[in-house]
Amino acid sequence: MSDLSRYFFYLFSLLTIGSALAFVTRKGPVPAALWLVNTMFALSGLYVLLDAPFVGAVQVLVYAGAIMVVFVFVVMLLNLGRAGDRPDLRGIGGQLTAGVVGAALLALLLAARRGDAVLPALVPSSTSTSNVVEPVAQLLFTDYLLAFELTSIVLLTALVGAVVLAKRRTAA
Amino acid sequence: MNAPNVSGMLMLILPEVVLSVGAMITLLLGVSGADAGRSHRAAMAALATAVVGVVLAIGMLTGAPLAPGTTFIANDGFRWTLTALLCAGTGAAVVLTEAYDRRAGVARAETPALLLLAATGMTLLTAARDLMVVFLGIELMSLATYVLVAMHRTSARAAEAAVKYFLLGAFSTAFLLYGIALVYGATGSMQLEGIGSAVASGAKLPGLLMAGVALMLVGLAFKVAAAPFHLWTPDVYDGAPTAVTGFMAASVKAAAFAIFLRITAEAFAPLLADWHPVLWVLAAATMVIGNVLALGQQQIKRVLAYSSIAHAGYLLVAVVSFSAEGATALVFYLVAYTLATMGAFAVLVALSDGTDRPLVRQDLAGLRERHPWLALAFAVCVLSMLGFPLAGGVGFFAKWQVLQAALQASVPQQTLAIVLVLSSVVSGGYYLGLIAPAFMQSPVPAARPIPAPPTGVRAIAIACAVVVLVLGVLPSSLTRLAQRSAPSAFAGGPTVATTIQP
Amino acid sequence: MIADSTTTVQQNALLAALIGLPALGAVANGALAVQTARTRTHAPDAPAPVGLASMLGVGSIAAAFIVAVLLFVQLTSGAGAVTAHFGDWLVFPTEAGRTPLIAWDFTFDRLSSVLALVITGVGTLIHVFSVGYMNDDPGFARYFAYLNLFVAFMLVLVLGASYPVLFIGWEGVGLCSYLLIGFWFGESANADAGRKAFVVNRIGDMGLIAAMCILFTQTGHLDFAGAHAGLSGMSTGLITAIGLALLLGCAGKSAQVPLYLWLPDAMAGPTPVSALIHAATMVTAGVYLVVRASPIFAASPTASLAVALIGAITALFAASIALRQWDIKKVLAYSTVSQLGYMFMGVGVGAYTAGVFHLVTHAFFKALLFLGAGAVIHAMHAAYHHAHEHGDAQDLRNMGGLRAAMPATGALMWIATLAIVGIPPLAGFFSKDEILVSVFARAMGSPLASASLMGLSGQVVLFVVLGFGTITALLTAIYMTRLALLAFEGPGRSSTSVQQGVHDAHGTLLWPLVALGILTVAGGWLNLPALIPIGPVGVLEHWLEPIVGETTRRLAPIAALPHEQELWITGGAVINAIFGIGIALWLWRRWAPVDAHHATPGTGFGGLLERAYDVDAAVQRGLVGPVLAFAKRVLWGTVDRGVDGALTGGGGGLARAAQWVSAQVQVGDASRYVWVVALGVLGTLAALAWRS
Repeated sequence: MSDLSRYFFYLFSLLTIGSALAFVTRKGPVPAALWLVNTMFALSGLYVLLDAPFVGAVQVLVYAGAIMVVFVFVVMLLNLGRAGDRPDLRGIGGQLTAGVVGAALLALLLAARRGDAVLPALVPSSTSTSNVVEPVAQLLFTDYLLAFELTSIVLLTALVGAVVLAKRRTAA
Repeated sequence: MNAPNVSGMLMLILPEVVLSVGAMITLLLGVSGADAGRSHRAAMAALATAVVGVVLAIGMLTGAPLAPGTTFIANDGFRWTLTALLCAGTGAAVVLTEAYDRRAGVARAETPALLLLAATGMTLLTAARDLMVVFLGIELMSLATYVLVAMHRTSARAAEAAVKYFLLGAFSTAFLLYGIALVYGATGSMQLEGIGSAVASGAKLPGLLMAGVALMLVGLAFKVAAAPFHLWTPDVYDGAPTAVTGFMAASVKAAAFAIFLRITAEAFAPLLADWHPVLWVLAAATMVIGNVLALGQQQIKRVLAYSSIAHAGYLLVAVVSFSAEGATALVFYLVAYTLATMGAFAVLVALSDGTDRPLVRQDLAGLRERHPWLALAFAVCVLSMLGFPLAGGVGFFAKWQVLQAALQASVPQQTLAIVLVLSSVVSGGYYLGLIAPAFMQSPVPAARPIPAPPTGVRAIAIACAVVVLVLGVLPSSLTRLAQRSAPSAFAGGPTVATTIQP
Repeated sequence: MIADSTTTVQQNALLAALIGLPALGAVANGALAVQTARTRTHAPDAPAPVGLASMLGVGSIAAAFIVAVLLFVQLTSGAGAVTAHFGDWLVFPTEAGRTPLIAWDFTFDRLSSVLALVITGVGTLIHVFSVGYMNDDPGFARYFAYLNLFVAFMLVLVLGASYPVLFIGWEGVGLCSYLLIGFWFGESANADAGRKAFVVNRIGDMGLIAAMCILFTQTGHLDFAGAHAGLSGMSTGLITAIGLALLLGCAGKSAQVPLYLWLPDAMAGPTPVSALIHAATMVTAGVYLVVRASPIFAASPTASLAVALIGAITALFAASIALRQWDIKKVLAYSTVSQLGYMFMGVGVGAYTAGVFHLVTHAFFKALLFLGAGAVIHAMHAAYHHAHEHGDAQDLRNMGGLRAAMPATGALMWIATLAIVGIPPLAGFFSKDEILVSVFARAMGSPLASASLMGLSGQVVLFVVLGFGTITALLTAIYMTRLALLAFEGPGRSSTSVQQGVHDAHGTLLWPLVALGILTVAGGWLNLPALIPIGPVGVLEHWLEPIVGETTRRLAPIAALPHEQELWITGGAVINAIFGIGIALWLWRRWAPVDAHHATPGTGFGGLLERAYDVDAAVQRGLVGPVLAFAKRVLWGTVDRGVDGALTGGGGGLARAAQWVSAQVQVGDASRYVWVVALGVLGTLAALAWRS
């Protein structure tokens, strides 16, 4: 790993973790959502460093773009935006417990990893090519065709569900 | 990267194709034709689709010897037997939801369509051999079920149940997904086969693998409602429309167990010694918690919810036994359990008054006088869940098979067997408490008159009871079917189980 | 286990049909009964579906009879026993492979063929009679449903090829008997009688279960062939234990001392039920079981002697009670108990054919007696109804002189009476004679005579049995003649208007009687003794030879009885019977008892007999009372209320604890659930993390 890559790795990692921390500690929904957007952006940087620029781009487009916009839109539409309107339901005890549980989870994951070999250093792809979409598309439409088609059915289900639940009541 | 063999693949996923196309036809029927009877036509189309699914699966089962499947989709007896079972359960659920929704005045075409979509996910889970497909199957099933729980939009209880189910379900899915990612990272494969061989040849990153296995087990344990991941069950089962509860208790659980068994058998077999103690504890805790807590319940659906948790415990014993016998017992148990659950819920649907008022024991009072056949069917189904010999029909054998599997495992599971028997004895307390009012109390005048139960609902209740009884006298045919249906991983005999350490 | 290679698909189907037809009839009639009950909730006076129910009820049994005849004809034409396997139930893995606890194996062999023909044949006649007898009953369809179900279970009992299948039939007929005794459950006495039969039979069942447990643990088999083959390695003591346990079961079902108590009360059911279940078929199941289990009894002379002694005691005891009963059905009930004792004597001394022979002839003449009594009761009932009087239609003191009004019934009843008394050439003479001769022959010298029972030498026991049998024969002649005299002869004792209202049976109430009358006359030709060769000799004996021939020989007399001795016994028995009839004629010919209204309870020994030795009262005081008190205080007070509490959640520690726990955890708050899930995740992760 080159020094530059290493530098960017730590930068994006710090950005990701910092934004995520800010996301969970903000009281207002809108600031929290914006911090989440930030997290997504930083993550996409990490993807690019992992030699997966396509995933990084999709991350920005789908999560930071589409999903978060809808999120913020809904929050603002429903006028939930003001912070401090309502106290944090979890209370200080809940927040502390959450912290402890989160730390324990992390500790256990690390503990599980204690015997593992050190991961091999990331080697930049030797067959670096400008066309990163092709291999993804290849896989998606051959081996993973079934999964791809299934996704459409999952989306259909979500669509039907959303329409059914949100539709204005007609009868009864 | 080979060009996909589309026609071969289509044959393997024919039930899913049929079910999802049926779902779309059902949706279209819901918006075409005269307003009156739309939902009924849609339900009939969905029922027909489910029947086609059953016929298809039975045809595959009885037809030419099964060709080996692919690394994505299995093609074995396990897949087709459970697909037939799940399609049959879906068909019954279509009839029950239609009757229930009609009584509540909210019948609509989306309900049968969503049932079919859930069935698509469920049948996929009987065959999935790739974690990507597994995940999509689980999500498809869960997503459709979340919506089904919330279908009665005027019911606050249903809405609460749906939100709870959705939040906790998403929470557990996160763990499952995280686990899948870690396992992929550790083994470099998404395919159960590939994971299995990678693990067998010694994983490079055992710690990462273990963490992944643990998280995947958590996700699966949530789906089958094993303690301590069962807490959502009573609330959700209670709040959901009764017919949907029956569908969740019977079919959704069966599908979750199908994939549970296949993942443990095909991918995690070499790690048996590691995950065995975890599932052991889960199984014992689930049996005890489910059965003991059911004792304190007043509402019938909550009793049955805890009872379904207890059954998850029994089924986990079959998984823990980890042998061809265990797999046989699992399939056998799922058939028996589906029959009994569907039969019992059909009776509850017949008794509902169209409101979302929770059913309590008094609602069963005098059932013998009001509907003698339904009362008998209810008694048979409940006794079957209890595992009562002869009168409870096939349920007794289901427990028997699980016990046998536990005792014949390469490391005999006496303790689990004892827990199973003792907790079953406890279960007598609440099961008999359901039957007693139906036969020993005189009817209480209902607050709202309950219309005569539709023929379809009665037919399902009585058919389930009859099949339960017949299989209880002649269980060997079902045993043979279940033996043929052990996943192909167990076909080589109990060699995989030799890695268990006491 | 494996179906006989000679058994064809067609025979399998026939066997399935034999059991299936009555079962289908039961289901159809059950559905009809439910339907009627539902109609009655709207229209209380809706008529019973008599036509359809009787067609289904009688038709299914008659069809089963035809099937049985078909199978029987195949069997006589030299085909082997039909054995069909319909699957397994509860398969145990054992060293020897996988042994089913219950194999649904049914066999139509030479023994079960005889029983199956009697059950379906006599069953058909009694079903036909029932059509007339129950005509006005609102529960007509329910009655036929129970009766058909009974026949189905009875066939399971005799066709089952293993002890557990036999036991299922055994329990099934017990259930039907219970349902039919309490058929008119509106009256609490009838329901109580049903319950009594149920409880007493459970005591016997424990014996049967114990026997099966010993057999299974010792031999690993419960099918007749396998279990009996496994006896060879067993100690005699153990075999005796099995035999005695079986005897307890048989005594319960066949109403032997001390478990006979339920049968007289069982007369609360409709009279055709008494004829079919409590005379011809179900109560003889104990005799059948002893014959079926003859390898066990033949291997244990002690157990066999116990069977014979119990039979002899029962025969004498019940016959003496029958002397002073006034209820016509009670007389016949005690007579049945007594005759069952006779059969036990026969099978107890290892004369299995004689036992089965008496079983068959008894089925004929006792069914005739009961149906005749039913016809009388029916006529009396109608007459009382017509005359607007109230009186007990079953009390002999209200009858008398009925032969004038009911000539056909009277004549048939007299034939049956002479048959049971043992007058040649009627059926009862041959079968009863064969039993007495067998007992005598074995007492003169046989493995039984040289064995011992509770310190008594076998020879003494056998002579006691013979003596009791002879006295019983005398008593039988007396009480049966008394019954016929009181009912049909002498002056009528009821009011003139009632007497004029009595009419003879006709139609479905009559011709089953005629058919049974023919069988009663001709039944003896089934197994003629060599002494009286008025036809083919020993047909039944040859027929049953493959089944019980070997076991009979193991207990057989050392030397065949000399002809003159046999002649002497036979002649003595006939003289004995005629003497008994004479006593009865002398006692009752000129003496007319007061009618039931003015009768006073008997005193002294006669009164004791009238009250059946006060056994019921003693049991009530000494056994039932304390048990009930215990049940009320302990079981009801703690166990039942505890369970009840657990059910309602009002009491019961576990239920309350469960409620408390779920109240703490199951609060309905999703975020709290998340915490629990998170803890579970941590636990799971920790468990696996430490292993890596």
